[in-house]
Amino acid sequence: MSPSPDRPRPGLRIEDLTLGYGDEAVVHSLDLEIPAGRMTAVVGPNACGKSTLLRSMSRLLSPRTGHVLLDGRAVHSIPAKQLARRLGVLPQSPIAPEGITVADLVGRGRHPHQRVLARWSAEDDRAVAAALEATDTVELVDRAVDELSGGQRQRVWIAMALAQQTEVLLLDEPTTFLDVSHQVEVLDLLTDLNRSAGTTIVMVLHDLNLAARYADHLVALSQGRLYACGSPAEVLTPELVQDVFGLPSTVMTDPVSGKPLMIPIGRHHVGTLV
Amino acid sequence: MTALAAPPPATAPRQDTVDRVRAGRRRRSRRRRVVVGVLAVLVLLAFVASLALGPTVYTPLEVLRVVLGQDVPGAEFTVGRLRLPRASLALLVGLSFGLAGVTFQTLLRNPLASPDVIGVTEGASAAAAVAIVSFGLSGAGVSVLAVAAGLAVALAIYLLAYRRGRVAGTRLVLIGIGAAYLMQSVVAWQLERATDVEIAGALRWLTGSLNGARWSDAVPVLLTLVVLGTLVLVQDRDLAASRLGDDAASSLGVRVERMRLLTLVAAVGVICVATAACGPIAFLAFLAGPIAARVVGPHGSLLVPASLVGALLTLVADFAGQHAFGTKLPVGVVTGILGAPYLLYLIVRVNRAGGTL
Repeated sequence: MSPSPDRPRPGLRIEDLTLGYGDEAVVHSLDLEIPAGRMTAVVGPNACGKSTLLRSMSRLLSPRTGHVLLDGRAVHSIPAKQLARRLGVLPQSPIAPEGITVADLVGRGRHPHQRVLARWSAEDDRAVAAALEATDTVELVDRAVDELSGGQRQRVWIAMALAQQTEVLLLDEPTTFLDVSHQVEVLDLLTDLNRSAGTTIVMVLHDLNLAARYADHLVALSQGRLYACGSPAEVLTPELVQDVFGLPSTVMTDPVSGKPLMIPIGRHHVGTLV
Repeated sequence: MTALAAPPPATAPRQDTVDRVRAGRRRRSRRRRVVVGVLAVLVLLAFVASLALGPTVYTPLEVLRVVLGQDVPGAEFTVGRLRLPRASLALLVGLSFGLAGVTFQTLLRNPLASPDVIGVTEGASAAAAVAIVSFGLSGAGVSVLAVAAGLAVALAIYLLAYRRGRVAGTRLVLIGIGAAYLMQSVVAWQLERATDVEIAGALRWLTGSLNGARWSDAVPVLLTLVVLGTLVLVQDRDLAASRLGDDAASSLGVRVERMRLLTLVAAVGVICVATAACGPIAFLAFLAGPIAARVVGPHGSLLVPASLVGALLTLVADFAGQHAFGTKLPVGVVTGILGAPYLLYLIVRVNRAGGTL
């Protein structure tokens, strides 16, 4: 697979974005650039505003101030269906209706491409088939989603987002509740998608090391503000881990990927080797 | 509008995968068409049966001629004046209750959040009882008040269940059950005040009844169903997408808040006008959706199947109430007998699963 999309994918630009629920502001006048056609991971401690930021980028939450710009246009001013053909979101906990089969669920991803009357086209079937193949879920098509394993289910949800055929894909903690092999599997799959179709990917991740390994661009949030952004090697440092997570750590080079690898220092193992 | 960017060049899928996807989709939609077709035929059969059968039995041909407005001695009065308005009203309110019930259950993602469980139909009944007993109104005035009260109850429980930017399903159901009791006590109070003459008519506000159905009762139900029912049906696909959760639906391009408001208000209108015509037929809205889900399976929309199931239940229950027992029972008593065990089953199942409602 070659990293050569035939035309540049749009990136996202965030300008002076303030977000909140009720009286509380969660994200404070944030400025951020999401590079086009790359994989960006947003990291930060719990309640730092990373999911809130993702919700606003997909227009689930209206900004108090500022904009999220897709190709220079505020996402909140793009008609809902038109936006849904360009920008897809996989929320943290989507609901699979009882008994729904994989084929049916993945087909829901075609919703923004369909009109009220003219429903299914050959194009829709092709998009669903391509999404199933890309996520290796072809053999599951006739199974009910609620009887799949956690890893299979997450692949099916990603397949639904792929069937939407958007240029930008946002994922809120796509690896939560998965064991380590399935986490790697999901991130490999997203990398395939990024490399083959040039899809701009933004994902909120909990695991700093997986984020550093898979992301081209790392964004660290702390208390609703941008702490640092850039390549993983620039961003993932012991200082950042100390400041943002309050955790003493050491960072070395991952012998497999050459990316930074963070090793936490707990209270019980200080100084045995370092 | 600027030109839309072309979708990313997806790697072309294998033909056998495409064929498999297409075959599965056709299989599902075929099954659905068959089920909907069978339901429609059953509704038609039940409709014709309730016109033809009774103390005097008429042939389907005689029934058809009466319906077409031809002069059939004998049948003209019994079928044309007595049975036809009653069966038509049964059909229309059945469709209305089924449609509104499944709309609520789908939008609020809870089988217990049906308008007859959470007090919406009870609100409409209470308003209708007050309008008839205390103000001596009839016809359109009753319908308008019933819709207004149903909307007010729906709004009140929605606001009471609203907390920290969202509505919790279980909370809404519990508040709604409280509202239902409150509204039932208003009905009981009105029945206390009713004269002996009024009480026969007012009793329908307790269980729902099609006794004494007239064409003038059926007309507002038909008009509402045509206008507001269509409004709900147009939201069909968005409603199906909202079953994936608000965030997922929104990311598929559904304007969730607007769709929910529009659809809920339309569904309240549909069920309240029907309630003003025949009273709160017990458990009808509550039963139609789950039965439809059982026969249609998990795929596709339930709006049309649930409406048909509602109509079928009403026609059959009313027919049974009139002829199957030694005494004539109102339709609401028969549906109540069917609905109560299902409610118990649902509660037992929820308890066993250990989940929330």
